Amino acid sequence: MSEPMIRLSHVTKTFPGQSTPAVDDLSFDIAEGEIVVLVGPSGCGKTTTLKMINRLVEATGGTIEVAGTEITSVEAPILRQGIGYVIQRIGLFPHRTIGENIATVPGLLGWDKGRIKDRVTELIELVGLEQEMKDRYPSELSGGQQQRVGVARALAADPPVLLMDEPFGAVDPIVRSRLQDELLDLQQRVRKTIVFVTHDIDEAIKLGDRVAILNVGGVLEQYASPAETLSDPANSFVEEFLGEDRSLKRLSLTPIGSVELAPGPVVGPDATRSEVDAAMAQHGVDWVGVRTGPQLDGWVWGKDVTDTAGGATPKRFSVWLTPEQSLKEALDSVVSSHTGVAVIFDDESYLGMLSIEQISRHLLE
Amino acid sequence: MIAQTNDSFVRWDWIWSHLDLVWEKVVEHLILTGIALGVGLAISLVLSAVILRWRPAYTPITWVTGIAYSIPSLALFAFLVPITGFTILTAEIGLVSYTLLILIRNVVAGIDGVDPAVKEAALGMGYTRRRLFFQIELPLALPVIIAGLRIAGVTTIGLVTVTALIGQGGVGFFILRGLNRFFSTEIVLGTMLSVILAVALDLALLGVERVLTPWSGRRGSAT
Repeated sequence: MSEPMIRLSHVTKTFPGQSTPAVDDLSFDIAEGEIVVLVGPSGCGKTTTLKMINRLVEATGGTIEVAGTEITSVEAPILRQGIGYVIQRIGLFPHRTIGENIATVPGLLGWDKGRIKDRVTELIELVGLEQEMKDRYPSELSGGQQQRVGVARALAADPPVLLMDEPFGAVDPIVRSRLQDELLDLQQRVRKTIVFVTHDIDEAIKLGDRVAILNVGGVLEQYASPAETLSDPANSFVEEFLGEDRSLKRLSLTPIGSVELAPGPVVGPDATRSEVDAAMAQHGVDWVGVRTGPQLDGWVWGKDVTDTAGGATPKRFSVWLTPEQSLKEALDSVVSSHTGVAVIFDDESYLGMLSIEQISRHLLE
Repeated sequence: MIAQTNDSFVRWDWIWSHLDLVWEKVVEHLILTGIALGVGLAISLVLSAVILRWRPAYTPITWVTGIAYSIPSLALFAFLVPITGFTILTAEIGLVSYTLLILIRNVVAGIDGVDPAVKEAALGMGYTRRRLFFQIELPLALPVIIAGLRIAGVTTIGLVTVTALIGQGGVGFFILRGLNRFFSTEIVLGTMLSVILAVALDLALLGVERVLTPWSGRRGSAT
């Protein structure tokens, strides 16, 4: 890892009048261009940690560096103008139009009018809003639209770092999932260093390049990629926090393409009954797939094959998956099909199939 | 001097022949009210800023302005005249002090009512405390502040008539002179003008609010 974008060294926060620290001796680095998700139960100090980075909360011990600069060496407002900030309750300025809201930080930085106007147009486009919304007031927008404006406003001056405090916590699950996808898509284009706070482990796994799991009192229990965390939890706290369906979560992270695919019990349309029997015996199933060239025509029950496999009118597989889809989706297909396999194809050509054994073998590796 | 015999309750001919005087007193009334509200608002904003910085100041400030508000106006002017004389200053000291309690309470309530998320977002983007106050908190508190101004305005219009006793008084001049001369036309004229001015000021401030807060839509004013 090259020079980190954000470095926390022995950071401690004890609020006035409290004997135990909210965050205790916390140290970790955040690499440039990564999404790091701080996740943990309430009271774990994740929001406090986030707010110490832009000094909305002042650390009582340790140091924090952003882009190599110790944060207390600059005036807090100046520091904050260089760090994007998105909060759950959004906090759009109700008395300013959407365009004016987005223009907030460029305005503080004294950009000229033309440059601000161009930037606002660009950002409205970037977060997928319509240009005519520019002149509306926040109260005229839906919750999801407002949060997009919140993200646009945070990105306005193109800060290298974006802090997001449970930004999607207040929207309904469907909008939330869409906003998460949009954030990942946006990150592909803007490549910011993002620190994201959530209490939702599924959101952490979905969004994070790395996940920092915090325990009550700001104790860092594990700091690793989602896949690593799921396959190798550091301790029983992490294991419990990840939940019972830890294996399923791992599957949702793994693309089908990362597993070696086998062609499975597949024969040509001209295969005789004995060839069909041999294929079925080899795979321990009572059906075969029928394949013509790169195409998989469908499948037939072995007992229905009288002359050739193709003569038994193959039935189509109902679900076809692509290598980009997750093993979790493959598993769903396996448990809901007659044949007990997931069929994988790439455009029009057949790649192979996955059985439950292959999927569970992947988990145990 | 003016014969009251066999006259009707209101002598319109008298009013028509004194329109210049009526206009002069209406303007005087509005000036007295305008100064009272302007100075009152300025003092209230300063004191509110102090309270917002240092909350323990709220109780003593509202306590003192509350006492000022509760002193009978007649007594207050009687007390001030030996010090400041029959001047506009005497009138304004009284008028301003009656606006303070209402205005300070509304300014503070208006700013307290600003969504904490808005303040957090502003600070998080690099607003200074001062910029937050002038560019975010104050504009967002406007509906509540103007609601306070409307109450203070109506109160002040009524109170200005009392300052006729110390030689000011705007349209109160007619009421006082009418009482002294048993001339009902002047009493009715002064009273009606005072009521009309109060209603007109209230509507004008409502209009100002509509213009200044286009973002609040049709929600009307909060109190």
